[in-house]
Amino acid sequence: MNKKAVILGVIVVAIVAGIAASVSSSPSETVNLDMGRTHGTISTAMGSAILGDPSAPITIVEFGDYQCHQCYNWFHNTKPAITRDYVETGKVNLVFVDLAFLGNDSPKAAQASYCAEDQGMYWDYHDLLYNSQEPKIDGGWANSERLKAFAFSLDLDMKLFESCLDSGKYSKRVQYNIQQARDNGVSGTPGFFIVGPDEQQQISGAQPFSVFKQILDSMI
Amino acid sequence: MMQTIKLVFSNFKYVFLSSVIFVSMMIGLLILSEYIFLEPYIVSHLPSGTELGFVLILVISALSALVISMNIFRINILKSSKQKMGGGIVGSIIGASAGACSCGPVGFAVISTFGSVGATATAFLTNYEIPIRIIAIAILFAAYFTTVKSLKIECNVHS
Repeated sequence: MNKKAVILGVIVVAIVAGIAASVSSSPSETVNLDMGRTHGTISTAMGSAILGDPSAPITIVEFGDYQCHQCYNWFHNTKPAITRDYVETGKVNLVFVDLAFLGNDSPKAAQASYCAEDQGMYWDYHDLLYNSQEPKIDGGWANSERLKAFAFSLDLDMKLFESCLDSGKYSKRVQYNIQQARDNGVSGTPGFFIVGPDEQQQISGAQPFSVFKQILDSMI
Repeated sequence: MMQTIKLVFSNFKYVFLSSVIFVSMMIGLLILSEYIFLEPYIVSHLPSGTELGFVLILVISALSALVISMNIFRINILKSSKQKMGGGIVGSIIGASAGACSCGPVGFAVISTFGSVGATATAFLTNYEIPIRIIAIAILFAAYFTTVKSLKIECNVHS
């Protein structure tokens, strides 16, 4: 009887620990499995996982390139305030869609981010790329070796990651995203669409937080 | 040197011309380099880490305005050769083109239109944005001193 109770107890503790671990490991990251996902006029089916509450009433769709220095500026100067005031408060969520056009390493970097998504680390990898960006386009900081080194630094399963990246598994996914940018008239990176319940507003360039705040507040 | 500048800008027409060149070039470059946005609201923004690029744009605009107006003065007053404007124009174009494309407001459109040639050109202009602007400033300075020297001789200005 006691043995049964101990086994039952262990199972219950394991289940509770498993649930707690899965909730606490990535509170704001959901893997994109919705192939029909759209935000306004944009098909984000092949875009990133949603950052923030998936049921938030407003979505910011960002078109970006990992080698784009203006995207780097936006990532460091504007995004933190948006994340703090709108994403973490559940008012807004964010989707990243690749417009990987600046250099030969751009599409590969975008593909690598989806290889990281396979292991539930899309946003960690995304952030790492923008934190590691160097000024030169195709200067080597985002070549295959470095992309693998970034994955290694995040403790990803390297066998899985390398086979994903080397096989070009997500090549068509990135091409699809570039086509979405073209279809929606995005002419440079970063490009944004703020999609609210009733309207959609386009913002071009690494604009300051005040601009996003004004639009977001008018939609909430 | 001051005598030459006074000679040119004693005529209000050249002060006005110089101001128009400076303002239009500066605003154009600031828009292309994403220091000024026109939509959805008119807003200016100087992100941290981009201060040097901003200062270089101001210097290029100011030098272009100075050199181009002085050369137009030479052409109008002295009926000098138009070829002598070369340095100022070349410097202005080089300065304006550096870093103006890349991932900015027209980057994707440029690369979509011009393909791999556009991609190579924009990557080059982006990678060497700061050195190219410094070279442009050097060309404009050279053009400025050449113009001043020529005006001193041609107008018989005593320094």
